[in-house]
Amino acid sequence: MSDILASPAPKPTVVDILRSRRQNRYAKGAFFGLLLIMVMWSVKVTVIEDTDWERIGSVAKVIEAANRFIGIDFSLFPSLLGPTIETLMIACLGTLLGVILCIPAAWFGALNITPYKPVTYPLSRLMMTLSRSIHEIVWALFFVAAVGLGPLAGVLALAVRSIGFIAKMSAEAIEDIDPGPVDAIRAAGGNDFQVVIYGVLPQVLPQVLSVIIFEWEINIRRSAILGMVGAGGLGLVFFRQMNTFNFHGVTSVIIAILLLIMLGEVFSYFIRKTVI
Amino acid sequence: MVVLEVRDLRARYSASGPEILKGISFRVEADDFFAIIGPSGAGKSTLIRCINRLVEPSGGEILFFDREVTTLRGRQLRLLRRDIGMIFQEFNLIDRMSVMDNVLSGRLGYTGNLRTLFRAFPRDDIQHALSLLDRVGLLEFVDKRADELSGGQRQRVGIARALMQTPKLLLLDEPTSALDPKISREVMALIKQMATELEVPCLCNIHDVQLAMEFCNKIIGLQDGNKMFDGPTGEMDQAKLNEIYAMEVL
Repeated sequence: MSDILASPAPKPTVVDILRSRRQNRYAKGAFFGLLLIMVMWSVKVTVIEDTDWERIGSVAKVIEAANRFIGIDFSLFPSLLGPTIETLMIACLGTLLGVILCIPAAWFGALNITPYKPVTYPLSRLMMTLSRSIHEIVWALFFVAAVGLGPLAGVLALAVRSIGFIAKMSAEAIEDIDPGPVDAIRAAGGNDFQVVIYGVLPQVLPQVLSVIIFEWEINIRRSAILGMVGAGGLGLVFFRQMNTFNFHGVTSVIIAILLLIMLGEVFSYFIRKTVI
Repeated sequence: MVVLEVRDLRARYSASGPEILKGISFRVEADDFFAIIGPSGAGKSTLIRCINRLVEPSGGEILFFDREVTTLRGRQLRLLRRDIGMIFQEFNLIDRMSVMDNVLSGRLGYTGNLRTLFRAFPRDDIQHALSLLDRVGLLEFVDKRADELSGGQRQRVGIARALMQTPKLLLLDEPTSALDPKISREVMALIKQMATELEVPCLCNIHDVQLAMEFCNKIIGLQDGNKMFDGPTGEMDQAKLNEIYAMEVL
């Protein structure tokens, strides 16, 4: 600080300014040039060299292949009802179980109420990171291996996958609470549990509910594809149609997924409006 | 009878930080309405929060009915706290709960975890809460949410909550600072009246010297963590006030 005051920066001359502008331009040019080379290299390696151009054939053939998906297999719809409901159930149960798992994660992960910071705080952060950095399909593969094929694996996968987001947002909400009511409950002789129930929970409830609804909506999307790895729901039907080359059936499944997701969005919009 | 005796109380917020309380001693008798006055930053809030250990004292002794407070831990500390009611400057109510639930929360020190979870308080507690709400004039607001009330009403809920503990001492941390002058006087009068009726001694932080002189029988003057005055209200005069507030730039 003191030497800045002692020797003020010399006033730049016009020549200096022009030189620095020129240098700036060269630096920018070099940066974008490098970026372009990197993109071109990626396209060459991953797209040009790694695609089976022989198989794609002409543009007309690509359009023809895509055309196979246009059309709906109406005969499939009655047998889609069961899997659609199953998908919704997996999303609901997965979210519910996720919320239960989040209670310790959020409690340990909020700096102001974590019971024993050196141990419980890192533990919670580990849970959150693990949950989020592993894709739901990978979690589903893991649980299919653990508990076998079927919706249970899907429920477990979604529950574990949900911890990260719900717990992180809840822990942040807890860290932002007004400490006043907490003081009041402590001063009345309340224990830690009572502080959480009376001092913390009422303050964070609206935010936490909103996060849970949001996660539930995402879980409907997720559960629609879990069947591809054998974890129940619409994904399994989708996969089967694909394997039997019933492309109109694939479109039917996609429509079912779309309808379910739209239903979820409408529903969550109304809950959000009434609850919060 | 001596309810509370404080000897050479010291407090600092961090080991290397400045000392906020520099050896305060005083005693509160059974029929006292004690005022603690002094400029901002004198340590009034810290002093009051040391009594129920919301702030940890760094030295000295606090005797509550001849029992050392500073060494209590866990359950013993909670049992102490439920005998000491506290009223806060910002009311510290649970905004999203009803007036009734807020008043009942004063009873948590006597309530088990299962009852807490389901908010299932014993019938006696509910009856007690209703009679207190009647006394503070809020009976018709029982089911209102706490955040729907005005400042004065909110502090009345705070008073009912503190009295719900059937305390043996009331700590008042600037109970009127968030209120306008007229409501302030009403709230102080209510506290004084209830305290006299229930025979609860009070220890009250207050920066409004007028109110202190009007409602309290004894005054402690704090300045920068030191006790500058300790005596009956009658002995306080302008010269001593000037001395206490000397460091405050007006």
